[in-house]
Amino acid sequence: MAFDQEKDEFKVVGTRPDRPDGIDKVTGRARFGADATAPGMLHAVIIRSPHAHARIVKIDTSKAEAAHGVKAVVTRADFAEGLDGENWNILENLMAGERALYDGHAVAAIAATSSLAARDAARMLEVEYEVLPHVTDVDKAMQEGAPVIREGAADGSVPAGMHPNVVRCHDSGHGDPEDGFAEADLVIEERFTTEATHQGYIEPHACLGTLGPDGRGELWCCTQGHWNVQKVCAALLDIETSKLRVTASEIGGGFGGKTAVFIEPVALALSRKANRPVKLVMPRADVFRATGPTASTSMDVKIGMKKDGTITGASGEFRCQGGAFPGAPMEFTAMCAFAPYALKHVHQVGYDVMTNRPKQAAYRAPGSPMAAFAVESVIDELCNRLGLDPIDVRLKNASREGTKANFGPSWDRIGLVETLEAAKEHPHFSAPLAEGAGRGISCGFWFNHAGETAVQLALSEDGTVQLSVGTPDIGGSRASMCMMAAEELGIPYEDVRTTIADTATLGYNEISHGSRVTYASGLATIEAARDTVKKLCKRAAAKWGIDAEAVEWRDGCAIPSGPNAGDFDPMPIKEIARDMGKTGGPIVGHFEATPEGAGVSFATHIVDAEVDRETGATTITRYTVVQDAGKAIHPSYVEGQYQGGAAQGIGWALNEEYVYDDDGRLQNAGFLDYRIPVASDLPMIDTVIVEVPNPGHPYGVRGVGETSICPPLAAIANAVSNAAGVRMQDLPMRPSRILEALKAGS
Amino acid sequence: MREIAFLLNGEPVELCDVPVTRTLLDWLREDRGLTGTKEGCNEGDCGACTVMVSDGSGTRTLNSCILFLPQLHGKAVRTVEGVSGPDGSLHPVQQAMVRHHGSQCGFCTPGFVVSMACAHKNGMHDFDVQLAGNLCRCTGYAPIVRAAEDAASEPVPDWIAEDGTLPAAFATASDGGVSGIAPESADELAALYVAHPDAVLVAGATDVGLAVTKALQEPERFLFLGGIQDLNAIDVGPKAVRIGAMATLSEIGDAIADLHPSLGELIRRFGSVQVRNAATIGGNIANGSPVGDLPPALIALGARLHLRRGNDRRDLPLEDFFLDYGVQDRAPGEFVEAVSFPRQTDRLRCYKLSKRFDQDISAVCGCFSIRVRNGRVNEARVAFGGMAAIPTRARHVENALSGQEWSETAIRAARDAWGQDFTPLTDLRASTAYRLDSARNMLTRAFLDDQGTDTNVLEVAP
Repeated sequence: MAFDQEKDEFKVVGTRPDRPDGIDKVTGRARFGADATAPGMLHAVIIRSPHAHARIVKIDTSKAEAAHGVKAVVTRADFAEGLDGENWNILENLMAGERALYDGHAVAAIAATSSLAARDAARMLEVEYEVLPHVTDVDKAMQEGAPVIREGAADGSVPAGMHPNVVRCHDSGHGDPEDGFAEADLVIEERFTTEATHQGYIEPHACLGTLGPDGRGELWCCTQGHWNVQKVCAALLDIETSKLRVTASEIGGGFGGKTAVFIEPVALALSRKANRPVKLVMPRADVFRATGPTASTSMDVKIGMKKDGTITGASGEFRCQGGAFPGAPMEFTAMCAFAPYALKHVHQVGYDVMTNRPKQAAYRAPGSPMAAFAVESVIDELCNRLGLDPIDVRLKNASREGTKANFGPSWDRIGLVETLEAAKEHPHFSAPLAEGAGRGISCGFWFNHAGETAVQLALSEDGTVQLSVGTPDIGGSRASMCMMAAEELGIPYEDVRTTIADTATLGYNEISHGSRVTYASGLATIEAARDTVKKLCKRAAAKWGIDAEAVEWRDGCAIPSGPNAGDFDPMPIKEIARDMGKTGGPIVGHFEATPEGAGVSFATHIVDAEVDRETGATTITRYTVVQDAGKAIHPSYVEGQYQGGAAQGIGWALNEEYVYDDDGRLQNAGFLDYRIPVASDLPMIDTVIVEVPNPGHPYGVRGVGETSICPPLAAIANAVSNAAGVRMQDLPMRPSRILEALKAGS
Repeated sequence: MREIAFLLNGEPVELCDVPVTRTLLDWLREDRGLTGTKEGCNEGDCGACTVMVSDGSGTRTLNSCILFLPQLHGKAVRTVEGVSGPDGSLHPVQQAMVRHHGSQCGFCTPGFVVSMACAHKNGMHDFDVQLAGNLCRCTGYAPIVRAAEDAASEPVPDWIAEDGTLPAAFATASDGGVSGIAPESADELAALYVAHPDAVLVAGATDVGLAVTKALQEPERFLFLGGIQDLNAIDVGPKAVRIGAMATLSEIGDAIADLHPSLGELIRRFGSVQVRNAATIGGNIANGSPVGDLPPALIALGARLHLRRGNDRRDLPLEDFFLDYGVQDRAPGEFVEAVSFPRQTDRLRCYKLSKRFDQDISAVCGCFSIRVRNGRVNEARVAFGGMAAIPTRARHVENALSGQEWSETAIRAARDAWGQDFTPLTDLRASTAYRLDSARNMLTRAFLDDQGTDTNVLEVAP
């Protein structure tokens, strides 16, 4: 779908109104996953493997079942059999079958009349394990002799002769990088690694489920996509999809981690067995041990450059570890790696590697930040050694409209050059640096996604509007939906109420992921509003006794237009609404589609860092995000996404990591030792919104949520490396690592 | 009768026969249906469960997930639901949070709102410090800090102000209180503890709270010390400073910062505001943690620990209290009554290394008190946390420094002594090599500091 974007003057879009749910959030009235209760409700706990890899010899549930207050115990036997593909993976992950595949892998669950009773009963559950050899490191998992996580998991894309833990491969590019390197004045090849990090949403996974013996159920849960939860639960419990109604609670952060299903089918299985509602809330430690961290990576990148800054060729191998299941986002890592650059010779390979770690889940632009870290570090080093300006070099090689992307297609209208130019003009880029400080630049890229979307817009009798969307609001999207509906209808922002509909009241909506919500639900909202306008005009035309085509909609009113329309006073929406029962019944606009024009997005970040040479500690002293939003509907929430991505990137670059001991047990499963940044760790992050309209959206919107985390790892690493005078190639850059590098470098 | 009485959002509450280890968070959410207070971690790290608690000594924020109901007896509790007025009017910090778009997902927002309202009431404007105990994963904090700044000049709403003084009728009604488990004097505690030496003492509950909520311990009996009136004095005398065991870290920070600014800075990085408001010096010492931050500083100050069992009292150098990992020189029924150290010219330098600046456990905490006469080291007291199984004095380093010219010479002279004093562990917080290297570098830092080089504890932070 292409849009002519004739609309370039906006009344509501681009302003910064208070969000409609603002008061709910500041007063504690907003209801999140763990805030629901039901009569007769039971409390559930999940029992998890303490071993990284073990055969489950026997589970004896008898004592637990007999314990005080216990109403149901479930194991793998209580779920559907005969599943395959991703449904099998999801089931195997949320309830182990023959083997526990990682520390924290669920093996059973108990529902009891109180959380204390459930906890006590959990200690009576007897599980006999036979501990097996394990592997948690991506490079070791690929080596000969490494324990095999699952025989036969590899698909046809994997070259012959690789270890069975390598389960998928991506290979793309064009030209021949070797030819490119031959033309270069300088070629650098280096290895980079990143550790797994957790999305770190503050709200643990939580749900309340009821499933009756008749197979009909209700589920309340915090999720980024409740239609997906519905579909997965139906498959795993072998019930009909439409018999389960899923309502999305407010969601306390997701960042991709709540696109996956971890506990909902367990709660429903317990409910079915106990015939009572079951509430299941994950303890924080379980969130770390058993829900999606991002992939860890090991990467080799080689780039050749001429003295004038022209990149002559680039190649990379990206090995991504995604836990005990296929699915590490290695194809995104590979495809995003060189996306900012128009290259004649480029080749990228990605490997999906299984280990004894939790099943990775999406985390904000999955796979892309690591790739940028490797590639942009090498470009920074090339610039340093050739004495070139880091922004000029990036501008010289930048992808533009019409250039061929590293992974195949030609770029549509994109805004990379505009972000680089804005970064170059920003006072931060030319500000003097304190002694001992370093500055880093990086570009970043993310595809953005559209996906299946359905929206309904219903007019109330007083002329206000009820907008139903199916994408959970993870960062203020209700506000932008209200704004787009108000813009199209010509009514005040306050006259629109946006509700996140449940699965029974709207058509299928894909998950809130891929930075798709403001793009896709926004597009659908605009189209639903336009559909409504058509109906409003028709009602006015009927009243006036003229053709519907002779009625225009302007500023919230129907007005006659054209030579033969006649002379009538504008008819406001309130008047049409008041009479709609008599003029043809309820007025409801809707839109359903799978749009295909999600516009890709680029960003350029500038970072200043200081390094303490005695302790290896880093302080981020200044941070500027420049990113193409296409069109910013609510600029404050666009800036919020920019700042949030940068803040998570700072944690990832400097501090956050999964730490496993020799036994494969996670050592830091809590906020006590998995340290996400607090207020004093971060500067006030500056933002610049660049607007290069996306041709695939009526207002030009591009997704903004994910691109903001693509450049930070590299930009910070470049700043730290330039401050320390040593190239940092492993994340996180914790103080000890920097101190070691300083010692080695001096 | 075990009766706990307190004010909840301005309304009196009286509870009989509640389990003594029921946390305020669980009670609020499950028994009262007040679900605005959130559980993010249940271990005092995220601040989503922050509540305001007032008593005669003021209003402070606490983490309700590691706060037991008996600790609230006689106090006024305010949750996010009570931050807005009885008629629903918003508090200035709530208005500012909406106006500045300080929520994205909004889950951490109630905790922030309570922390902000408390800072607002107390007139605190150092928001990076005030909000360091509240985690937000969405915003990067900028809009939240702006909201806090914006609301700072607004007056404190009446309904918040009135928590400062508990109504007289309420104070009378709560007389008697939770008998048998909540002594009100040191004498009463001494008698109870001798009678029940297996009881677990609960001061601020920041450590015991974790042990209980994580089901690591299920003791038969608890003694809640919060109501004891004569164990929390901080007496800064002409010869000595004596700190009662129940003084909180916040109170100590306020009282000591002028005498020993470096210790004041160390305390300011201790846990978060919510944790410092609950945690006590007695708890920090008596739990014997190898990474407690106060013992190294106190040892460097030459502190003595005052213990009491029944009516028997004794005191000993603080470093001698720590015997081995998890083992202290404390008899059954014996408790920490106070810590004291001599008034002295300030020579104390404290350095804390952790992954994150605020609210993080030390990888290494080094404290130095080095006295110099005629250019030579006259007396050196050096103590470390995180370098051994217990807080430890670096006696070889002290001896090596002693008598040396106070210059690079002294640092060189001590070079090999570090390895004699310490063989630190490698764990998830730091490696053996990093710990030894950074401990040595801390001495350099202490010297440079002393020479007036512009360096302070803040710069040491990661």
